[in-house]
Amino acid sequence: MENEEKKRRELERRVLEKVEQAISSVHNAKDVDQVIIALYSVAVCLFPIHFHSISGSVNEKYREELRAVEVPSEDDKTEWCHVFYRGAAFRAFARVLLYDVASNWLACFAASARKHVYDVFFLNGCAAEIVQVVVPCLQLNGSGGHDSSAVCLNAERWLENLLGGAQFQDLGHEQLKQVISKVSQLVTSIPDKARQGAPNFTFLTLLQGAEEWDMMLADGTAAAEDIHMDGSIRFIGEAFARICRRGSADVLLSEMIPRILGQVRSVLSSNSDLAISEIFDSKPGFRFWLKIMEAVNDSHSVERIAEELLHQLAVQNINDVEGYWILWILLDKSLSANSIRYVKTYHAFSFLPGSSNEQFTFVEKFLLWKVFPTCCLRWILYFAVLECTPDSASLRSYNAHGLSNTVHRLVVAWSRKEFVQSSPIEQQAYVTAALGLCLEKMAKEDLDATKDGLHSILQGVSCRLESPVYLIRRMASAIAFVFSKIIDPQNPLYLDDSAHEEIDWEFGLATRRKGPLTTPVHDGDERTVERENSFSTLSGKEIQKGEENGVGNVAKARRKKESAFTLIDPDEVIDPATINESTFYEDESDYASEDSETSSDSSLQPYDLTDDDADLKRKLSQLVDVGALRKSDDAEGVEKALDVAEKLIRASPDELKYMAGDLAKTLVQTSVSGVMILDIMIDAAQELASARILKSEHRPEALISSTSDEPWFMPRNIGPQGAGPWKEISSTGTPLNWSYSYERELPSKARQIKRGKTRRWSLRTAIQDNQMEWSQNSFPQYAAAFMLPAMQGYDKKRHGVDLLGRDFIVLGKLIYMLGVCIKCAAMHPEASVLASPLLDMLRSREISHHAEAYVRRSVLFAASCVLLALHPSYVATAVVEGNIEISEGLEWVRIWALQVAESDTDRECHTLAMACLQLHAEMALQASRALESSKDTSTAKSISLSASVSNRSIKIPYLDS
Amino acid sequence: MSKRPPPDPVAVLRGHRASVTDACFHPTKNILFTGSTDGELRIWDTVQHRTISSSWVHSAAHGIISVVAGGENRVISQGRDGTIKYWDIGEAGLSRSPLTTIKTNSYHFCKLSLLNNPHAKVEPTEVVKNHRESELAGGTMSSTELESDKKVEGSIYVAAAGEDLSVVELWDVNTAEKLIKLPNHSINSTKARGMCMAVRAFLPPESQGHANVVSGYEDGSMVWWDIRNPASPVTCVKFHSEPVLSLSFDNLCGGGVSGSADEKIVRFTLDPSTGSCLVKKEIILERPGIAGTSIRPDGKIFATAGWDHRVRIYDYRKANALAILKYHHVTCNAISFSDNSKLMASSSEDTTVALWEIYPPRN
Repeated sequence: MENEEKKRRELERRVLEKVEQAISSVHNAKDVDQVIIALYSVAVCLFPIHFHSISGSVNEKYREELRAVEVPSEDDKTEWCHVFYRGAAFRAFARVLLYDVASNWLACFAASARKHVYDVFFLNGCAAEIVQVVVPCLQLNGSGGHDSSAVCLNAERWLENLLGGAQFQDLGHEQLKQVISKVSQLVTSIPDKARQGAPNFTFLTLLQGAEEWDMMLADGTAAAEDIHMDGSIRFIGEAFARICRRGSADVLLSEMIPRILGQVRSVLSSNSDLAISEIFDSKPGFRFWLKIMEAVNDSHSVERIAEELLHQLAVQNINDVEGYWILWILLDKSLSANSIRYVKTYHAFSFLPGSSNEQFTFVEKFLLWKVFPTCCLRWILYFAVLECTPDSASLRSYNAHGLSNTVHRLVVAWSRKEFVQSSPIEQQAYVTAALGLCLEKMAKEDLDATKDGLHSILQGVSCRLESPVYLIRRMASAIAFVFSKIIDPQNPLYLDDSAHEEIDWEFGLATRRKGPLTTPVHDGDERTVERENSFSTLSGKEIQKGEENGVGNVAKARRKKESAFTLIDPDEVIDPATINESTFYEDESDYASEDSETSSDSSLQPYDLTDDDADLKRKLSQLVDVGALRKSDDAEGVEKALDVAEKLIRASPDELKYMAGDLAKTLVQTSVSGVMILDIMIDAAQELASARILKSEHRPEALISSTSDEPWFMPRNIGPQGAGPWKEISSTGTPLNWSYSYERELPSKARQIKRGKTRRWSLRTAIQDNQMEWSQNSFPQYAAAFMLPAMQGYDKKRHGVDLLGRDFIVLGKLIYMLGVCIKCAAMHPEASVLASPLLDMLRSREISHHAEAYVRRSVLFAASCVLLALHPSYVATAVVEGNIEISEGLEWVRIWALQVAESDTDRECHTLAMACLQLHAEMALQASRALESSKDTSTAKSISLSASVSNRSIKIPYLDS
Repeated sequence: MSKRPPPDPVAVLRGHRASVTDACFHPTKNILFTGSTDGELRIWDTVQHRTISSSWVHSAAHGIISVVAGGENRVISQGRDGTIKYWDIGEAGLSRSPLTTIKTNSYHFCKLSLLNNPHAKVEPTEVVKNHRESELAGGTMSSTELESDKKVEGSIYVAAAGEDLSVVELWDVNTAEKLIKLPNHSINSTKARGMCMAVRAFLPPESQGHANVVSGYEDGSMVWWDIRNPASPVTCVKFHSEPVLSLSFDNLCGGGVSGSADEKIVRFTLDPSTGSCLVKKEIILERPGIAGTSIRPDGKIFATAGWDHRVRIYDYRKANALAILKYHHVTCNAISFSDNSKLMASSSEDTTVALWEIYPPRN
């Protein structure tokens, strides 16, 4: 024992000596032949190299030296070899080989010399050791005087070689595991280290190696090397797992998918007797996918792979069958292999039999938590739920138990009110689509077997139908349709007029989702786009109604057109010439005798056939009728009363001032017992709101419009003909340019005495100018009477109205209307007075943090309107004079909008909040300018600024990113 | 060429206190009969535009469905109280009590149709013992004798929905006798059509004086009967998707117009020799609901009374739109032309009757 130890030490010493010698002679070499000899002297001790094989590549004068190199016996060689690779010798020597020799000499090596004295060290060694020395070379950054590109190229060559045929010999099981893990760690770090532009060889070579292995296995040659091969596969598996963990699953899959897809297509197109799964199981060239994925024994990585796989497949043109098989190949084995771990992690269905457990968690994650394109959804369903191929032949053998369990899971999540309220629309659409597609596959028995199926579906449908969002209502009707088809296929239920047999499960969201999917890099761009959009959102809501009408008109027009094609349009304008022209529409059968009479029948010339339906809407009535609004059970009466109310407000009679409060209160309290009345209520509110807008549009130009590109303080573009465009001029008086001044060229009037060239227009005159215009806006006089009652009592349940709860749509509309109202009173003193109670209302927790995004949107809108409505000088005075209500309210708007922008799940809330912040910043800017001007003019008063104002920071997220 | 604006009514007859359901011109005199939902029957002078007389002929709760001039000095009123009353018109207006009262015991919205032709032959197939208001002195007279007796002064028959609402019944107004039921035995297919909503009796020249009846049903179908064969109809057609609300035929019985609760007016042709009824033209409306149609006696134009408050005028031959008359501001109930084709009356729920002179015939 001791002897052997001694012997080994001795051997080690000798090996090191030898290596040292060789290294020093390499360093001292003047000639390439000297290097070759030095390398040869080591190689010959380790490998069975014959002198003759390299003598040809060495210059004559060194041949003797070469021959003089002593050669140990074959037995010794094995021992030497062992010691060389296990000890420090190889690492030291390899460094010299990889750096010095590679950069200085390798290019001069003859091919045979290179093969026998250089490559031999890397080809025959233990993969683990070699990888460990080679990988660091990739990181060489030109220091140390080596020719870095030569070194790197060489190292890459080796890695390629290595990974392709990675060999893990002679290792025990545990040892093997360790080595594999170590090597794969190194290997997967290659992408980080590799120089820019290096070929992305890691995955490629790994894959190629795997394919080769599979072929070899098919030849039967590798049967004996089973363990060895097992190691390779495990190595690749481990490498894959690590690659995925490092976040490069996309690169990996972009390499894998074309290969697998090609293979799947070839199998599917071949007419084999075998079942397709058997082909994949047995045919060389396919098995290794199964094996490799089986070897990826890390649930997280499997998930990443699956996820990335779906995303990448979605953008390719793949049919359901191909998609199914690709999922099957890559995920079937690894999911079953990882089943236990999955269940431990998520522990959802420990009571169910083993094999289906992980399927459930897979299903859960991929159907409920993540969002994929709809085509992926089908694959997932076939693969994980139905467990059968999508071709119709095998559909009969689907996993009914799994299906009804999945539907149960889906429907439980789907029907929850919180899910409807708080999850993003994309996810809602996805889960709805998942549920719908499952239901489409279901038979009535399956549905009966589903726990709570019926109940939950009905609940989910009904809570969606109440939603203010059209898409969500459409989801409900889609599910209701599919559901009714299960119950009674002959009698499908169309809740939606536009429903068709074929349901678009993407709900029109597909295009939006595809954008970020295909171009994940352009995240930043998208954000800016979003912000641009946000500017228009405020007014967008207002125009929305108009647009809807527009759409309706278009549809109507189209319908009209269609009917005109086939049939006569009763309203069409008929040329009198044609009506008397008997050739135009001649009827031969009847009244032939009357023809002579009709020819002279010029009396039948049509009158003007234009017909508008304006009169159909007109119903003048008394204000008393508004009382009918309180009779909630009389839907018709309420409708009539609303008509009347609308009329009254439109006509804006003198007594409106006194009635407005009562009217508003009644409108708000109108019982919303049925969806019908609710809709009327919404329409009425919208109608009221738009009536406001119309009224304010009496002004020649809107004071503030959030859509226009120009800031609101720009002077209006009116004036005599020939006036030039406004140009901003810098004020010369003060260094701080607090107010904008504009000038423009004006044509001189006929009898005008020319005193100067230009007229100046600045903020102060603008205000006076505008004030004259404002008097045309007749709304402010009603504003207080109308708005104050509407702001009260929203939290009380009266007349069966529960605004904060069930009737949140009315609340949302109400807040929205209040926003529009205050905007219409913008810059008037009334707005300043009404702002603080409105802000008070908005600030209440149950409104600003309402569970429904719809209400939050309205609040954001209303808050933005307040920001727009307040005159900057009023804000400034409020802050200076300590009007706490206003200053705190405005500060709250900022904080709250920030909060919403950062954390709200609703996309629209986010954009609105961004717009709100923008408006806040603008308002603050204007207010501070107004403040400074007042400071300038009234320094005698020596008003001290409160610190909170001067230091107010306006933060806009993403502005600095 | 700029279009002429549609004409305004030449006169508006105000006086009814409730929705005016029907209007009918006197065949020769300048008289208009109108009935309203509160049971009031008014007689108007169409020259002076004044009420001649007003009487409550049916209970206010039920009201009048239709009014038809039944001859030189007769008028027939149909109420929703299940009766049809036959009145004599004297100098001072209506007689105090009706000449006859037919108790149909049916409660519906189907306006009756008058068959007032001296040559009409209606062979009674129903032997129904009816309660007769005016018992004749010669009680021993056989019914055939009675009939021949009556024929001299001209029999008047009316067709209307019966007690069984899917059945059309033909009554002799003079005797208040039910003569025929169409169909005369229960046919499921008729039941399936629902209530009879409109009926029109006419006398095709080819039928040797045997009346024909077309009835429109709730499901939008129309059935053509020859009363010689009350068991089975001549033909059945379905032009509409909603209840047929009104029917009218031209004087030559070569075609007609039907209005319905759907958005169509159908101009169809009838061929009594082959028993075929074919769509000639469908007129699609923007807003559904045609409560009444009427073809002018000269066959030039026809008019419709729409739920959309409008009266529309069409060329009868070509079914081209000629005018949209906007006067009423509530639903229009009925439209009627005078026999000399000079006047048109539209009655509306706004309690008014408008008189129009549109495309007056040239003499």
